[in-house]
This record gives sequence, C-alpha cells and structure tokens, in this order.
Amino acid sequence: MAVSFSRRIRSLAPVLVLLALCLVIASTNSNFLSVSNLIRLLSAAAIPLVLVMGATFVILMGSIDLSVEGVVALAAVAASMLVANDFTSLDLGFVALPAAMLLGGLLGLANGLLHVRLAIPSFMTTLGIGFACVGVATAILGGFTVRISDRTFRELTLGRLFDVPYSVWVAGLCVLVAWIIQERTRIGRWVYAIGTDEHTARQVGVPVERTRILVFALAGVFYGLGGAMSASQLGQGHALLSQGRLFTTITAVVVGGTALSGGVGSVLNSVVGVLVVIVLANGMVLMGIEPFVQQGVQGLLIILAVSLALDRSRLAVVK
Amino acid sequence: MSVLEVRNATKRFPGVVALDDASIRVDRNEVVGLIGENGAGKSTLLKVLTGIYRLDEGEVRVNDGVIELTSPRDAFDHGVAMVFQEQSVIGTLSVAENIFLGREGEFIKGGLIDRGRMNEAARVELAKVHLDIDPAIRTEELSFAQRQMVEIAKALSLDSRIEGDIVILLDEPTSVLEKREVDLLFEIIRDLKDRAAIVFISHRLDEVLAISDRIYVLRNGAVVHETPATDATVTELHGHMVGRSLHHEYYREQRQSGAGERCVLEVKGLGRTGAFEDVSFALREGEVLGIAGVVGSGREALARCLAGLLPPERGEILIDGQPARLDSPARAVGHGVGFVPSERKAEGIVTGMSVCENVTLASLADFVRNGFIRRGDERAATQGWIERLSIRTPSGRTPIASLSGGNQQKVVLAKWRVAGSRIVILDHPTRGIDVGAKEDVYELVRDMTGEGLCVLLLADTLEEVIGLSSRIIVMRDGRVSATFDSPPGGKPNQVDLVRAMV
Amino acid sequence: MFIKPFGSNRRQFLQATAATGVIAGLGPRIARAEEWTCAVSMRSLANPYHATFAKGAETYAKSAGAPFEMLVTEGNSEKGIADVRALLSRTGGKLVLNIDPNDSPDARVIVEECAAAGAFVVTQWNKPEDLHPWDFDPSYVAHMSFDGVPTSKAITEKLIESMGGAGGIVAIGGILSNVPAIERKLGMEQAVEASGGKVEVLDFQPGDWNETKAFEIMQAWLTRFGDEIKGVWAANDGMAIGALEALRQDGRAGDVPVTGIDGIEAAYAAIEAGEMAGTVAWDPAWTGGMGLSIAHATATGALDIAGEPHEHREFYGTGIVVTADNLAEVRGEPAPIDYSDYWGRVTGQIQYRG
Repeated sequence: MAVSFSRRIRSLAPVLVLLALCLVIASTNSNFLSVSNLIRLLSAAAIPLVLVMGATFVILMGSIDLSVEGVVALAAVAASMLVANDFTSLDLGFVALPAAMLLGGLLGLANGLLHVRLAIPSFMTTLGIGFACVGVATAILGGFTVRISDRTFRELTLGRLFDVPYSVWVAGLCVLVAWIIQERTRIGRWVYAIGTDEHTARQVGVPVERTRILVFALAGVFYGLGGAMSASQLGQGHALLSQGRLFTTITAVVVGGTALSGGVGSVLNSVVGVLVVIVLANGMVLMGIEPFVQQGVQGLLIILAVSLALDRSRLAVVK
Repeated sequence: MSVLEVRNATKRFPGVVALDDASIRVDRNEVVGLIGENGAGKSTLLKVLTGIYRLDEGEVRVNDGVIELTSPRDAFDHGVAMVFQEQSVIGTLSVAENIFLGREGEFIKGGLIDRGRMNEAARVELAKVHLDIDPAIRTEELSFAQRQMVEIAKALSLDSRIEGDIVILLDEPTSVLEKREVDLLFEIIRDLKDRAAIVFISHRLDEVLAISDRIYVLRNGAVVHETPATDATVTELHGHMVGRSLHHEYYREQRQSGAGERCVLEVKGLGRTGAFEDVSFALREGEVLGIAGVVGSGREALARCLAGLLPPERGEILIDGQPARLDSPARAVGHGVGFVPSERKAEGIVTGMSVCENVTLASLADFVRNGFIRRGDERAATQGWIERLSIRTPSGRTPIASLSGGNQQKVVLAKWRVAGSRIVILDHPTRGIDVGAKEDVYELVRDMTGEGLCVLLLADTLEEVIGLSSRIIVMRDGRVSATFDSPPGGKPNQVDLVRAMV
Repeated sequence: MFIKPFGSNRRQFLQATAATGVIAGLGPRIARAEEWTCAVSMRSLANPYHATFAKGAETYAKSAGAPFEMLVTEGNSEKGIADVRALLSRTGGKLVLNIDPNDSPDARVIVEECAAAGAFVVTQWNKPEDLHPWDFDPSYVAHMSFDGVPTSKAITEKLIESMGGAGGIVAIGGILSNVPAIERKLGMEQAVEASGGKVEVLDFQPGDWNETKAFEIMQAWLTRFGDEIKGVWAANDGMAIGALEALRQDGRAGDVPVTGIDGIEAAYAAIEAGEMAGTVAWDPAWTGGMGLSIAHATATGALDIAGEPHEHREFYGTGIVVTADNLAEVRGEPAPIDYSDYWGRVTGQIQYRG
C-alpha cells in the first residue's frame, strides 16, 4: 500500500506546512504562541474561514467563484444599512445577519443560474456578478461609507465568549455546518461526483445542474455572512470593503490542498489553508521580515504548500 | 416471458444506418450473448437500451410493456442496468457512495445521509460479487478489476430495489480482467441468473460461448444470426460476424520473419525500484519479442520505461549498439521508438483531432517548411497510410473519435510508421477491438517486421503472445523468469509459459 | 484617499451627485456657441474623493451659469482620452476642463488636444514631470497637486504631541511604489527625526491602502511589541481605522493614539470618540471648483494666465490637519468658496523629487 501511504502524507502536507511555519515563527518570537496572539490569529481568520467554506464547495465541483469580493461588499453595505447607522434610519439589529446571508444566497443563485442556464463558464459569470455587485454598492453609496453606530451588532466581532471573539465562534459553527454538508448530505456527495467526473455523475442520475446552482447559492450564503461580519469588524460598509478577500480565499483553498480541477480536497483542508495564510502574514510581521521580501516569501511558501499537497501521480497533464 | 425486448429497431445517423430493423429479446433467467464487429451496431443498441439514444423506428419493451427510456437513470429505474466498458465509478467517492450515487434517498434521515446504513447496504451488494472490501474506502484505492466488480455490484443493487425483473448489460466486462477474475465473474453471472436476465457483450467469442444461453450476431446494424449457445462454434460465429470464414492462419505464422543480423535494441540490467529488476534482452530487426507475465510482473512498467514514460533507475539501454537515454517520450521518439499504449483513448490518440492530424502528430516537423505546416503533404501521407493499412474512414479530415476502436488503433500504428519508428512497442494492441480488426493488426505486425522493424509485444492473451512472437520472455515479480524461442511450427505451449509466470 | 467634506449634509449631497449622474448620462447636450462648457473628468464616482471633486466642480459651474459635463474614465486611459475628444468636438473647442488624468502620460495627450482645439485645461495630481503649463500658453492653464511630505509631517507631529513627545510608534504605509505613499512616509520620517531620538519607529509595514491588511498587521504588532507601542501612524484613514479595530479588540482603543490622512467620516467619528488623534482633510470640493474657476476665468479673459508666475501654474494646494480642536469646524457646513481668490490656498510650486 505504498501509494496509499504517500497519499496520506500528501493529505497531511498542508498541516505539516502549518506546523513548520508555527515552529519557525515561535522559535524567533516567543510571543507567537501566547494565548493573546493565538486569539488574535483566530479573530483574523474568522472572516476568511467563513468565505472559504463557500468557495471550497465551488472549487471541489471544478468551478470557480470570483464574485467573493463583490458579494461580500454588497452584503456588508446591506448589513451596515440595516443596523443603526448614519445613512439610513433603520435599526433592525441582528436581522442584518440573516438578511445579508439571504442577499448573498440570492446573488449566488444568480451566479449559478447564469452559469448553468446560459452555459457560461463560472469564471465569467462570477466575475461579472462580482463586478456588478461592486457597481451596485457604489451606486447606492456614491462612493461614501456607511458608519455603523449599532454597538450590539459590533459585539459580533468585538464581544467575547470565554475570551474568544464571537466572530470566531461563528466561523467555527460555519466550519461545522460545511463539514456536515460535505460529509453527510447528498449535495456534499454530488459535489465530489461532479468535480471528479461530471459525465458519470450525470449518467447515474445526479441532478448536475441543480447541484451546481445550489452550491453557488450556498457559497453566496457564506459570503453574505462574511460580508455582515466584515461590516461588524470594521464598523462600516463601503464598496471597497472587501478588497483582497478574493485572493486570500482562493489562495487558502488551494494551499489547503483542494485541487482547482475539482473532486479532491475538503472543507477541513481549507481551514488549514486559511490558517497557513493568516499565520504567514502574522509571522512575517512578528519576525520583522523586510516588507520588500514579504511578498516573495509569501509567493514561495504558497508554491511550496501547493506542490507538497498536489498528487502529481494523478496529473499526466498540467494545465 | 421476455424481460427486455427491442422490436424492429432502426436508428439512423447522417450517412449511416446504425440499427437496421433489429429485434432482440431477453428472457427471464437467461444470459444472452451479443456479438458483432465494431460498427455492427452493438454500442448503438446498448445506448438505446440505456436511454441515451431514441429509436427512429421500432420499440423498446420492458416486462412486456412499451416504454420510452429517456436517460441511463431512467433505464436504471426501470430495472435495466449497464456495466460500462469505460468505467464509471468515481475515484474520489467511497465504494458505498459509488454504488448508491444518485440514489441516496433511502439512506437520508433528517436531511443527513446515514453512512453506517449505506455501508451496510453496500456490503450486501459487494457480497453478491464476492468482493470482500471495506465499502468506506475510496474506489481509487482499488485495483482495476475490483472497480469493475464494484460496477457490477452497483448494477446488482437494483435487485432488491425494483419491482419486477432486472436486466444487467455487461459491455466487454472481461477485457481488463485476468483469467481468475473472469472465472469469478462467470460464477457470479451464473449465480445471477436466478434473479436477473443478463446481456453479455464481449469480443472474446469463447467466453461468449461459455457463458451465454443464446447468442445474437449483429452485422451492419441488423441481427444476422440467432442461435442457442450449445449449437454454436467459434468458427461459425466468426463467419457470421465478418461475413467470411475465419482465416486459416489466424496469427499469420507463415509470415513470421526470422531474426535479422543487426541488434536494434539491447537492454542490460535494467531496473526500477518497485517495478522490475535486472532485466536484460536483445531485440533484432524483424523480430517480435513477446513479454508475458501477470499483472504486477513488471512488464507494463518495463514497456513504459522503454517508451520514455518512466525513467529507469539502473542499467543500460543500447540502440544500434550506442547507449541511449530514454528519459522522456520525446527522446524515445527521437531514437525511433514508437509506443502503442493500452489506454488508447488516453494516450494513443488525441480525440479532438482528425485522423490526419493524429497520423502526423509524432513527426510534424517533417511536414513543416518555413514554420508552416504543409497541409497537402500531410494529407497525401495520411491518404497513403489509410490505404496501406485499410483504415476505414471517410477521409483524413474525419475526427478520429468517430472511428471504431480497431481503426483508431491502425491510426496509432500509422503515426509511428510515418514517424519512421524502428522499434514499436505494442501494449495490448488488440484490447477491446473485434476479431476482424484484430486480424488486421496481426497483418500489420507482420508487415512491419517484414520491413525490418522490430516489435515489443505485451499481448492480450497467451495465445496471442505465442502466435505472434518470435521470442518470448516471461516476467515474474519484476524479473525475467524464462525465455522461450517461438519459431513458426515450433511454438512453446501455454502451460510452460504459465508455469514461468506464476 | 477618501474624503467627505460636506459633513451632515451628506444625504443632500448624495442626491445631488446621483442627479448629476443621471443628467450626465442623458447624452449630448449642445452648448450654445457663446457659452463655455465646464467639464470634469476623473476615475470614478465610487470613491468619495472624486465624488466630492465632481460635486465641487458642478457647484462652480452652477454659480457661473455655465453648462456642466461629467466624464468618468473608469480607470481606462483610452476611454478618458476618447471622452475628452468627443466633448471637444461637440463643443467646438469651447470647453473648460478640470481633469484628474487616469495616468500621467494621458495628461500630455489631453493637453495637446485641448490646445489644438482652443480649449482650456487644468490638470490634477498626475502629469509627466517634463510637461509644464507654460509650454502651452494659454490653453494649459495650471496643474494642481498636494504635497504629501509637509502634510504628513504635520500630522505626525500631532501624533507625537498626543503621545507626550516620546515613545515608540508603528507605521502603516500605502502601496510601496505609490507616489503619495512615498511622500507620506517621507513626511512621517522627517517628523520622527525632528524629535531628536525621543520617538522611535518600531516597525514600518506596507498596508497597501487596505483596511483588513492594516488590521492584521496591527494584530501582529500588538503581539510583537505589546505595550511598547505608544502611537500608530497610518498613511491613510482607512488603514488607521483597520489598525484602530485591532486596538479595539484588545481593549486599547483610546489609550494608543492613531492618526491617518484623508479625512474620511469614520476618522472624524474616531477623533470625536477620542480614539484617533487626528487626520488630514484635503478639500476636493475646492480643487474641483477652483480648477474650473481658474480655467474659466482664463477662457473668458478675466485672468491673464500667461502673465502669472510659475508658482501659480504648478502648485500645491493645502491640506488641513484635523484634530479634536477643529473637528466641529471642519465637519460643519463648508464656508462658501470664493471663486475669485485663485491663489489663496497655494502653498508653493511643485517640487520634483527625482
């Protein structure tokens, strides 16, 4: 069972990269492993975690979702306008959370419907929807920023339970939900089936189209929640709030060992991926690495992580 | 009483009548053999039975009622299950998940899949095919044959879930199985007869004869012969299939050329950890060297190694007496090595391209002048080979995907002939192609050796390796365990080979 | 670099902006031949700086009774240039243009086109260093910019003051290669140097103008330096807010002073709450209106621009340091701009720091 063994090692590669990273950082800065820094890391990871839970399913299915930033921005703007703020006279409090998730879900549904019904590659539809969302957010706000005055809503990221921010608990809950969806529901199974071999999946009667649409909608729900959390974290909502989220999300999914070609990976891989990305950013500041060098290090480590996680024996052709 | 019946089926495609007023009937507790050359209409008939194609004329009846099958899933729900030749298990899913893919409904409780129950149910289905594996493991960890069994288990899962009878269509189920596994499969089929009707499609006529109760022969889309298996012989069936009688000298032994003086390829102490060790042999011009061995003997790896696909770790390869490094396919091609792989669709042909583009693929540089491909020369060369190898294709521009397996294989051979290969490695060259096309391939092997090329053969059956080779090396556990000379008239017998193999 | 100058008036402002957007989208409106059409061109209305810039320009056009056009490049140089060309031909060259070119090289093409058509143009922020208004008298009226160095130095001094004059600061910069980022960092360093060693920059990290990145960097700093951090400097307000959120999560907001630059509403609110020590307000309504005013005056002959000195042709405007002391004043109703006070806010001729 040599193949199996090397596969097991490979599936552990992202975890090993994470551990190695932690070890190196901890050896140069003892504060890294302090409880307060670990909590900081978790709080920084919370929103990316919520976002990757959605993106992982899309990527497992062999599609891609580039609408992350747009949907997050629009959901953040919507959430910030629903709670007490200086732009609208609404003050609906935590209704903003389900509302943002619903909005995200609808936008995801639009992604999926356009992708499947018009047979446009997901790359294009999600890119388009993403741009459209930023456009709508811009049109609503005219370039301005909604400031949130609702203290309770801000508690979502500022408040703590057992000294850990609520946002981290929310993210943990999202991981649990995503994991159950992946392991224990039909949609989860079908995502793998479609990502591995859509043709066969279709032949045995998997509703491929419906699954695709649902998965995009599901991803949208996670983005919507991530948007509301972003608004809560920064106390504001504006069209450019989510800049950089797309890169982090896709990087985390890939670094975690989920293949862009679909079928291989897991939401748990993506959790590790997020932690690698967050720990790396944190660690480079802690270690005092020159800003000019940081991006290079980041790029190299991403390539390293992916190359360790990738099962090259399955890949005769790399595209 | 018929479980599944097709009456007066006609299906036309532009320029072709794929099914021509064909009628077949499958009764309860019966194994029906379905044979015919490639292009005879077998695949079309299967696709009709599994709801992929609709008939232009005629009807499909299940349990004596006329129905319209709309998709493989629809056929499945009507009790017609197909075990695909191209495997349709999904590697990243577990065995149980594959068996019940798309039909998870019965295991859902509160929106979640009860995996324990699903695995239990899968175990029941696996027991029917005598496969003792954990249903929770991923199918990609299984061997090819085991996956085939999972396919069959998947079809059998219908048994307890469908009202009425079930029909299982087995499309070339034995082409990838070893003898022992074929025996097991037959045992299972005999077992199944109590519960299901079975349609067995194979190009191995002896197998069809052994397992079937009744046999239909298809030719040019029509049923040309129907016979109880007890009354039939291979020769007779073959005659019906090709419309002519079997060539007396099946393997063209009379055309077997003696080994030439010149040693083209010499291998000394070749080794690769975990695959093969200390392999040495010499190959002379005009020779066919057969490599026999069971799965895991290392012969596949050896072939891939000589094709430049798998670099050796130890030892030496000499071509024309000069040391040669074959560490990439491009280098191997440069040294005159042509590889005809067993996975034709994956490695042998580029499915999206035309016949002509496939033929010139390995030697495109010869058709380029000033940076442009000379299409005229390309077409002329292809046309020449189409005629020489009697490739059945409307023209060189035809997409290769629309050709039958045998003709695709000829295109692969033509590619290496055009590229001027002198060492041709044939890895199961007749796998999955019908008798007529097989004979064409044998003829081509003799043509090549007659012209001084040498051939390294990994044959589909022992009979084939003995019939075609001038010399045979047998591999066991990665090492050469025996060598046999195999001159015309003095062929070694199968028992000796088998003894060296196991 | 976002700004919001109209304070409590924002809703009306937004309605007006939206309205102009609608009107501008209605298509060609032919100007009467005797009138000069006033126009602005900028990247987009998605950021408050440009939205306010456009609004200020429109206010001027209204006060002068001139037709007004708004062009948006959407970050596309070709579109920016093509739109100006179309407008030039539509107005027969009777055009007064206040433009923030999408990219420096665009400025030359636009200036040349305007000069050829007999139009008058004022450029903002971006132009090639070897392109000067006096090379195209009188068509190329002026170029306006803001000097990041003295402004940044001024706000850094405020930060140091609120730290009690000594201690370690951490600094978050913009995108490393970006000109305003370089200038602002330079100003910060000058102020630190002027402290004579009493203030130390513990670490400098580029935050790429990104709130979230600033948040994560600040978190790492809190781990690395802990209580050593006595002040936080950010190259813009967005990043200052990001850093402030990290402090907030640690329960240290208000204890450690933070400064930003740009003057966004969230920064004003944080200053009000005592969590930020200050920011710098540009006044894009002023640059939008005054750019048009100077060009329009030149076009109508009220101003002989060719006779003005170079420091009136290529000049820096004024950034206002905002702290708790003058916050109310800055956020209140803006004083009407005196459009005839052309040079009132000039702080010197533009310096090229090779």
